[in-house]
Amino acid sequence: MGADASDLSLVRRVQRGDKGAFDALVLKYQHKLVKLVMRYVRNPAEAEDIAQEAFIKAYRALPQFRGDSAFYTWLYRIAINTAKNAVVSRDRSPIEYNIDRNSEESYEMQGRMKDSETPEALVLTDEIRSIVNAAIEALPEDLRTAIVLRELEGLSYEEIAAAMDCPVGTVRSRIFRAREAIDRRLREVFEGGLGRAEELG
Amino acid sequence: MKEELDSQLSAMFDDELASAECELLARRLSRDTELKARWERYAVIAAAIRAERGVRLNARVARRVSVIVGSEPVFAGLAAPRRAPRRWLRPASGAAVAAGVAAVSILWLRGQVPPATAVVAPPLAAVPAVRVTTPALAPAAALKASGPDSYVVPPPVRAAGAVVPATELANYVVAHSMFSPPMARRNLLSSFMTSEPGEAGLIPVSTDGAQDPPRDAKSHAQ
Repeated sequence: MGADASDLSLVRRVQRGDKGAFDALVLKYQHKLVKLVMRYVRNPAEAEDIAQEAFIKAYRALPQFRGDSAFYTWLYRIAINTAKNAVVSRDRSPIEYNIDRNSEESYEMQGRMKDSETPEALVLTDEIRSIVNAAIEALPEDLRTAIVLRELEGLSYEEIAAAMDCPVGTVRSRIFRAREAIDRRLREVFEGGLGRAEELG
Repeated sequence: MKEELDSQLSAMFDDELASAECELLARRLSRDTELKARWERYAVIAAAIRAERGVRLNARVARRVSVIVGSEPVFAGLAAPRRAPRRWLRPASGAAVAAGVAAVSILWLRGQVPPATAVVAPPLAAVPAVRVTTPALAPAAALKASGPDSYVVPPPVRAAGAVVPATELANYVVAHSMFSPPMARRNLLSSFMTSEPGEAGLIPVSTDGAQDPPRDAKSHAQ
């Protein structure tokens, strides 16, 4: 189980001409990248444009990617450079948001960022978020702990196993079952509402 | 079966799946739209849990990128993943470089003759119109005229100005012989030590700078 093996296997497929594998990489990292770019630009729509540009640059540069660093690290650098260039070219000074989920200041800043979102996107994003939160609340304690440690704290399966005093296989199973439970609730909205909102957008 | 597949997908999303399984699943993931949709929802769940408030969970980035990438040229097979260089090659290549540099430098040093005392090899000296402006070129030209290219210092010319002082040459060889075997280095140095002052610079030196001088070098010099 090598670190970044998942991304690397997808990257290798893209390098061999499988464009579908790149879709998977974009799906996995689009939110993280948009969040990253939003340290430099206020507008979520603009952040999405920059993230999109970064992904395209990454795709074009992918033949040169040798796997010396993790794919996301490489993508991160491209996104940062793209964002900085975009800011410079638009003659704006970059805004460094030190996003800290737990600080009030951060919440306030994030709240201001939300102002520029379209109403449809806001509604749908809030809906998704509330569904996920409700689903997490409904999870059994062991599943909830496992998924939160993974997604919120970013712990590896081994670290979660140590924290929960159980085998790694159990952690994998718990996280999977947690995801499935959340996904069951999310699927309906996602397949119906999300598509409709995208058409509107 | 399907549950096992979904479980693998979940582990792959977390980078916790073995490489071999990743390879197989990556292939399926790139083609199976249902699996890809599940993968996307996993990403949305992660973003929602992380409460990335500035981020739209229905971001259209992926769809737009997919459309643009669709019109991009397909990579026609890429070079295989870079292999790690063989370990034994590193010291060997280092030694080769060091020896090469030493040999070239010795040749160059031998050519550093003051213009006033520069001695041109007999064949060139016979042509008065040719004036050697670059002293370093003189021995090389003499070498070329006398035979095929070689990394051996040309036969000595009996002239004081054409000789590099033994100490200077010895210091240089020592400074550049970090990759030479100690025994060979010692042999070379002892040859410098035993040679007479006027002959020290006349010792032919091979590429690795570590061989004993041939016996006839001394006799030739005399």
